[in-house]
Amino acid sequence: MLDPELQTLVEITLRTLWVCGSALLLALLGGVPIGILLGSSQFISRGLLVSSVNAGMGAPPVVVGLIGSILLARSGPLGSWNLLYTPYAMIITSTAIALPLVIGLTLAAVGSLDDEWELQVRTLGIPRHWRIWLLIREIRMGLLAAVIAALGGILSEVGAVNMVGGNIAGETRVLTTAIMMHTSMGEYEIAMSQATVLFGNLLLLAGLLTWLQQSGRKR
Amino acid sequence: MIEDTQPPSIALSAHNLHVRRGRGKDAFSLGVDHLDLHAGEVLVILGPNGAGKSTLLRALAGLERSVAKDLIRGGDGPVTLVFQRPAALSGSAEMNVRAALLGKGIPEEVKRQRVTRALDRFDIQALASHDARTLSGGELRRLALARAFVLEPEVLLLDEPFDDLDAEGQRILSLDLQQAIEDTNVAVAMVTHDLRRALLLADRIAVLAPGRLAQHGLRDEVLLRPNTRDTARTVGMTNLASGRVCRQAGGVSWIQIEPGFEVPTTAALNPEQEAWIGIRPEHLKLDVGRGDGESIGKAVVESLISDGLATVATLRVHDRRFTTHLLSGRGLARRLRPGDPVSLAVRPDQVHALPA
Repeated sequence: MLDPELQTLVEITLRTLWVCGSALLLALLGGVPIGILLGSSQFISRGLLVSSVNAGMGAPPVVVGLIGSILLARSGPLGSWNLLYTPYAMIITSTAIALPLVIGLTLAAVGSLDDEWELQVRTLGIPRHWRIWLLIREIRMGLLAAVIAALGGILSEVGAVNMVGGNIAGETRVLTTAIMMHTSMGEYEIAMSQATVLFGNLLLLAGLLTWLQQSGRKR
Repeated sequence: MIEDTQPPSIALSAHNLHVRRGRGKDAFSLGVDHLDLHAGEVLVILGPNGAGKSTLLRALAGLERSVAKDLIRGGDGPVTLVFQRPAALSGSAEMNVRAALLGKGIPEEVKRQRVTRALDRFDIQALASHDARTLSGGELRRLALARAFVLEPEVLLLDEPFDDLDAEGQRILSLDLQQAIEDTNVAVAMVTHDLRRALLLADRIAVLAPGRLAQHGLRDEVLLRPNTRDTARTVGMTNLASGRVCRQAGGVSWIQIEPGFEVPTTAALNPEQEAWIGIRPEHLKLDVGRGDGESIGKAVVESLISDGLATVATLRVHDRRFTTHLLSGRGLARRLRPGDPVSLAVRPDQVHALPA
């Protein structure tokens, strides 16, 4: 049998990885296509959308948490979904925090390509889905930067997930909310061990992604 | 490149092509009523900066949002455009050429053969495994041409294919390009500002004036019979002057440009008619008594500029300047000095003239 403290640590670490991984996946699935669309198209409201994305990249997470709480509260517009104080609410909020980062960095990666890149590929008669594949391949370094930024944003964020998750033991407690709670209770030893695990995870993932990015640059 | 008398088949025919872009002061429009590209022929598009040469290429490639456009295709082969600044996809040179065949349902073995042939055609087989983003400007141009030819296009549109290349690079690339065009019977439209290169490759010439097609026809027809003075300048007919028909005899009209400077032409003109004349530099001769045409008057050598092969002599006749080309290091080019008096001669059939 595992030590109960260690068991708790493993449990909240796995929950942290699940919440963060799900949010990251959703942010990438939504953000990359939107970033590519915004980066490669010209339409009337494009400027407004790009400004919104830029604002979103710098939005305080606690404000995102507040909006999430209002929307998901029992009396809110999405109250009937009964998601407040569940891991799903934390995933939604984390996704909302990461999405502008992914869109913004994808947009920047597409923007860094030659102005005529898309036209040049189009004139080769390559079908649209293959052109998108080539584009993603071309901007993969920028996309890795987006993944690193989004992951960092999600993993290090505490205010918003605390507001919509409630830091309920065995339910919605993740490493960041647990660290905050133990610190406020003066249990620095436990907080430090959790912080070490959190930082270790961040370091491992960021290191892996950076390695991928750098090895891709050499190719 | 045209070896038989059969008219070449039309690969692409553009009718009522009108492109409009921008608003207000930045507005640009281009209108071309009719332009044909023939299989196995090179159409060179000439024109001043901003005339719409690249826009025309893009419209022919279907990349411009034209207000009106009627493109009739001779076959169903690919139409592709090689841009002035070709983009390299990340990856090897071979991958760049191979990428053009993506999603076309071509069997792997055929793909491999076509890629090898395209790389060989432009002599970049040795660079196949090199990162395309590290290639030099000249190598990248060859890669872009290989990427276009691997498609086995029916119509190939080239935007300044010799830009940024040194003289030797231009020479070799134009030979490879010429060979590739002959081998594949592709119809080519090429924009270039390099008149000498254009003259080497062109079967037909289209001259754009800002926003419109000024003239379009067989190479020599446009070079020797430009329809306006601006077109004449664009195709290198730099000796232009105005005058009046002062005498006519035996189908030749003599146009007086200055007192004592009369130019003969076989162009159909009326007595006393005001006309402008155009003489290509290579057709204006220094009269050394060899019977190289009719003597037309005296001039003074103003300057002599040589690039090692040809010497461009600028000659002054009163306040007018004419130019002629001499072979560097030989004969007159070696003996002449600025300030020397010379006599000029032309053949009447090499003097283009139109009513003013």
